[in-house]
Amino acid sequence: MQKKIFALLGLLGVCFGLTAQTKFTISGTLKDKKSGEALIGATIRVLEFSNVGMTTNEYGFYSLSIPQGTYTFNVSYVGYTSVTEQVILKANVSKDWSLSDDNTLEEVVVRAVKDDENLTKATMGTEVLNVKEIAKIPVLFGEKDLVKAIQLMPGVKSNGEGSNGFSVRGGATDQNLILLDEAPVYNASHLLGFFSTFNSDAIKDATIIKGNSPAQFGGRLSSVLDVKMKEGNNKEYHASGGIGLISSRLTLEGPIQQEKSSFIISGRRTYVDMFAKLSPDFKDTELYFYDLNAKANLQINNKNKLFFSGYLGKDVLGFGKVFGSDWGNSTATIRWNSILSSKLFSNTSLIYSNYDFNISFLTDGEKINNNSNIKDINLGQDFSYYPNPKNTLRFGFSLIHHILTPNRFQSEGIISEQKSRKSLENAIYVNNSYQINDKINVDYGLRLSMYSILGGDTYNVYENNVLSKSILLAEGEIGESYLNLEPRISANYRINQTSSIKLGYARNTQSLHLLSNSTSGNPTDRWIGNSYNIKPEIADQISLGLSKNFVENKYELNVEGYYKLLQNQIDYKDGTDINTAPDIESQLLFGEGRAYGLEVLLKKKTGKLTGWIGYTLSKTERQINGINNDQWYNAKQDRTHDLSVVAIYNLSPKWSFGATFIYNTGNAVTFPTGKYDLNGIPTLQYGTRNDNRMPSTHRLDLSATYEKQKKGRFQSSWSFGLYNAYGQSNPYSIDFKENVDNPGKIEAVQLSLFRWLPSVTYNFKF
Amino acid sequence: MKTILYSLIALLFFTSCEKIIEIDLKENQSKIVIVGNITNEVGPYFVKITKSSLLNYQGENATIDNAVVTIRDNQGNTEMLSAIGNGNYQTTKIRGKVGLTYTLVAKIGGETYTAQSTMPALVKFDSIKVLSSTFGGEISYDFVPVFTDPIAKGNQYRFVLSLNDKLVKSHFVLDDLVKNGSVNTQPLQNMADLKIKTGDVVKLQMQSVDDNVGLYYKTLVQITDSGPGGGTTPSNPPNNISNGALGIFSAHTIQERSTTIK
Repeated sequence: MQKKIFALLGLLGVCFGLTAQTKFTISGTLKDKKSGEALIGATIRVLEFSNVGMTTNEYGFYSLSIPQGTYTFNVSYVGYTSVTEQVILKANVSKDWSLSDDNTLEEVVVRAVKDDENLTKATMGTEVLNVKEIAKIPVLFGEKDLVKAIQLMPGVKSNGEGSNGFSVRGGATDQNLILLDEAPVYNASHLLGFFSTFNSDAIKDATIIKGNSPAQFGGRLSSVLDVKMKEGNNKEYHASGGIGLISSRLTLEGPIQQEKSSFIISGRRTYVDMFAKLSPDFKDTELYFYDLNAKANLQINNKNKLFFSGYLGKDVLGFGKVFGSDWGNSTATIRWNSILSSKLFSNTSLIYSNYDFNISFLTDGEKINNNSNIKDINLGQDFSYYPNPKNTLRFGFSLIHHILTPNRFQSEGIISEQKSRKSLENAIYVNNSYQINDKINVDYGLRLSMYSILGGDTYNVYENNVLSKSILLAEGEIGESYLNLEPRISANYRINQTSSIKLGYARNTQSLHLLSNSTSGNPTDRWIGNSYNIKPEIADQISLGLSKNFVENKYELNVEGYYKLLQNQIDYKDGTDINTAPDIESQLLFGEGRAYGLEVLLKKKTGKLTGWIGYTLSKTERQINGINNDQWYNAKQDRTHDLSVVAIYNLSPKWSFGATFIYNTGNAVTFPTGKYDLNGIPTLQYGTRNDNRMPSTHRLDLSATYEKQKKGRFQSSWSFGLYNAYGQSNPYSIDFKENVDNPGKIEAVQLSLFRWLPSVTYNFKF
Repeated sequence: MKTILYSLIALLFFTSCEKIIEIDLKENQSKIVIVGNITNEVGPYFVKITKSSLLNYQGENATIDNAVVTIRDNQGNTEMLSAIGNGNYQTTKIRGKVGLTYTLVAKIGGETYTAQSTMPALVKFDSIKVLSSTFGGEISYDFVPVFTDPIAKGNQYRFVLSLNDKLVKSHFVLDDLVKNGSVNTQPLQNMADLKIKTGDVVKLQMQSVDDNVGLYYKTLVQITDSGPGGGTTPSNPPNNISNGALGIFSAHTIQERSTTIK
């Protein structure tokens, strides 16, 4: 393994600082002054050099090697007051910084350094969302929701009203890698998609990378949604929570060891079912979900830190004895951060992720169960190496062991085989961020991924959906392996003080695939790994971007265009039921896809009024042999226009207001074109696949937040919301039905869900 | 189960509403529709040939009465059907028998359409079991056709439901993929819109159909049975008729049972 890493390093031609001058390293961590939480992605600059700057990594660590001297350091982070300090560097220095957040809105924030990060970084298609920033965005039922906020970004589209599933740049829902403290979350939504599994109270921030991710990420084609949990306040104990229309939340945090170690535990549960049970008609109804997030970090010494984080979430939906179902994710992560030297930072992670789905129904005195499960164990090693101020090197490996157990019906009379399939998904990677000069930054990397089928099951090989042979792999045997090299590069060229141009290319591959019998994503959807028939999906994306800042960096404009080619895309034959098909692989069809588009994001980051306007113009198509007469057709997530406007107005320290407006073209769908009679039953005729459009959707949501005067430690606020403020009846689904009074007349019936939906939430903290 | 899911969602999202809307429909390519049935009962058997019409067309579908339609079995019997008007063609002598394969050939204009279907063995239809459950104060009924599935795998069943002698315009299918070789306990799915009350007479016809016919009806069920958030992407179901015609040619056994809701 080590040899391979060095070979990769050589291949990349990483340039290490070879200057003769004596250099010293300043390194340390950056924290929030009040809570001690590490600040991710904060900027540290040396004002004496125009182009020497550095961002803190996921653990708030930074390292800079510069010649001996006296320097002015400036440390800044969005929403925090920046700090400027002189440091004399004549030996290697370990220095930690802490920043305090500027909640005081009246104050004019003086920034020593211009806020123009978007012009200097080579990263493309990346948006960071701070939970504090999204708190005032109006949402359905007043449930703060990270995923819903992400869906307001250009290039990210929700699967439908209220849905937490999303599509990035024409990708499918399963092509997003959703990570919670590095652990993959296989089903990131609750209650058939209306709520996300991320309880905002426990979340620090989230980053979405739309295809051009650095080499340390891999395994999904379209995006990485990297969600980080809070670490907990290591100075004081705090409790916070909220009571809302749908759910209540409670979070406790505090130090384990003063200023060294801390914990946070956060829970959320819905309670609609409790009201429902008051009515005798619904007393047997079960309908709820809960989330539990917990995290602790222990500082062993100045150089070593351990993190334990866990998540447990479950949905329960049932009706008496007749029908019951539950599903949920659980994840656990142990991480060990170690500062090996002032230039080398190491993170070792051991990750467990599990997704379970159970359904049972009782008919005619017989109980039938259907369950499925995914279990991952993952060992990851990541190094951050800071050879000189111009280069930041990331390299490491990831080993994942998957066990996938597909849906199978089971009951007393059913002897149905439920065999699990095991596989290994391994990768090694190296990535370098190289600041060539004042104007050019390059981020480049290489990921070598390998997926191997492990024994313990029989694998059928199909040619044109006809069985050609069966391969019995004994336990412990290794079957087919797929090896993929994934190069990634993005570059930033700063044209002038206010603008820059970016260019990127990335290849991503995906070895786990989601098969779904519905268009919206259901808990019953089935994950399947590569096999002898299913090859890794491959996506190649090129993107070109332009960033320009106006009015002293108050306004930020980012325009990005992309073109993406997808290989080995999967669909299945008509009439296939993924739950009952004897071997689903005999029913699969394969093909390719293409997606292209233009994204515009105009942001206002400071002042009383903040927010953004996002617009996407795009096209997404698929071509799969056996579907639509083998011709190209619109993918269901194809939408021409997508507009979102987000505005937050801070009127006074007490009152603030939020509004969002969205407009989008309807999804591509297949409506009937004709009809005929089939033994007395009117039957619909269909033409080209996905040739029609759902009606377009538009909606205005409003919110107001009232923050009460702080009394001692006690802080509280009220949030009011109005979802779909002008009561637009947006299409959720359209069904074609025969008119009851006029047989033979077929009508399109549209179902709309939410109109004028008010919400109120009370939040507290002490 | 779908009913329960729907109701639970309605319970949570009390603000949903339905309305009829106008949709811009794409042009339709009118196609030949052939629907033919051969059963194990005494004939005559019928084949109906029509043309599909636009979705918003309100009259009767156009019929084809000048086709040359023949049916033969794999024992050397062959027969040309006589046109009896309104797109219908009728047999006179061919017999429907379990285990035989029937081939339909229809010549329409210069085009030839062929289809083949094999009549599976009869599986005895014992009775209809009526299950009732209460949800949200309303009683809903489920029907379990009681029969014993044979040990051999791959049986496919289609059901035709009538309520008070009125055809229920939905497709009902069952198979033995989940539970092979035992007494059926699965109720008919896809009954969401049915209003059933005490005293109603339920008549159920059970058909044993071959694989192609089973797949055809299963696909139709999936298209119409769109769950919360939408079902599968619809398409014309794969059928057993060549040359791009719509419809199905089915050789199947039939048995009927009825019961009254108490």
